[in-house]
Amino acid sequence: MGYALVLIRSASLNLEAFARATSTHPDLVRRLVALGILDAGRDTAGELWFAPSQVGVMGRVQRLRAGFGLNYAAVGLVADLLDRIAVLEAALREARQPEGNR
Amino acid sequence: MPGAPRADRRDFYEVLDVPRTSTQDEIQKAYRKLARQHHPDVNKDPGAEDRFKEISEAYDVLSDPQTRRRYDAFGPDFRQVPEDVDPEAFQRGRAGQAGGPGGAGGFGGGGFGGGAGDDLGGINIEDLLGGIFGGRGFGPIPGADTEAELELTVEEAFQGGHRSVTLEGPDGRRTLEVKIPAGVTNGQRIRLTGQGGRGSEGARNGDLYFVVRIAPHPRYRVDGRDLYVDLPLTPWEAALGTSVVVETPGGETKVKVPAGTSSGKRLRLRERGLPHPRGRHGHLYAEVKIMVPAKLTDEERRLFEELAATSSFDPRRR
Repeated sequence: MGYALVLIRSASLNLEAFARATSTHPDLVRRLVALGILDAGRDTAGELWFAPSQVGVMGRVQRLRAGFGLNYAAVGLVADLLDRIAVLEAALREARQPEGNR
Repeated sequence: MPGAPRADRRDFYEVLDVPRTSTQDEIQKAYRKLARQHHPDVNKDPGAEDRFKEISEAYDVLSDPQTRRRYDAFGPDFRQVPEDVDPEAFQRGRAGQAGGPGGAGGFGGGGFGGGAGDDLGGINIEDLLGGIFGGRGFGPIPGADTEAELELTVEEAFQGGHRSVTLEGPDGRRTLEVKIPAGVTNGQRIRLTGQGGRGSEGARNGDLYFVVRIAPHPRYRVDGRDLYVDLPLTPWEAALGTSVVVETPGGETKVKVPAGTSSGKRLRLRERGLPHPRGRHGHLYAEVKIMVPAKLTDEERRLFEELAATSSFDPRRR
């Protein structure tokens, strides 16, 4: 099997499409936007638009909630902490270049 | 997602690392600790998700005193045993039966929602989880992205190519053929779409990311796409200038050393470092290191002494 680097540049999703893509209810999606857990833009008509990357964010929300029974505020906190850890780990990897490299 | 029957199903007590005599509290405690450790959003290791599912499945069974009793009596096949079977009669009739039931697996089955009377500080977890996700089942949940490190040699990063990588998975080992683009750098991520954690109930799988780490090389040091290499010179080559052959990942090349080159000077070989697929390639820097013979012949000693007497050069003079 061969795999290549894939570049994804798909269009944004509206609320309905986003809810469908993530198998969630639009009301839940709206709530998560209000809580700042999902990022969404609004067009002039006031409709929510989601970047495709938010589908992955929603997946993580679902997994954290299902796995730990967290409430949404806690999911937001955990997600933020995980993102910060990811940034720190990347920086650490950079700084901790193996001996001989720099 | 239905758990595939596995020949190597582990004992649920072993999975949670608790003795068979442990109390429900101890089981719950062990589960929570392990779940935090192996949750695929916390632990990016490609094996973590399967471990998490295994832990959830074990907890699902052992957290409910009734299913636990049946598991203790009938073993991993307890789900196939009718409710009214006498455990002792079952043990007698069960000679060498093998195979396992479909496991719970997936996020729908595990989680803190499992178990009757599961209670967090007085709040019933079922109530908390009830609403929006639709009761106990969470519906299709996409798989988490996973990460693994991919160590490459400088030459592999330079040339690109294919690499077979073996990962531990739920169905044993799997070998993936990874296409390495020429000019990958430290920390760069190579994505294998759909090779991450499995989604439940038909939801999409996560992606697997290989994070590139360039292994230490006996000759090259790596900084982004730039390469550094030592260029050992004799004192007279450094003083008089010369032309020497330098090895680069792309093959040998000649570098002109100007007269009067001191140790530490970097001679830049333009764009002879790691390639950039869509931009300027890295440079290769040859760092001058003046070397002297550890032992001098009589003639060498005489000539150095003559030079010492003749020269007024003092690198320490201010």
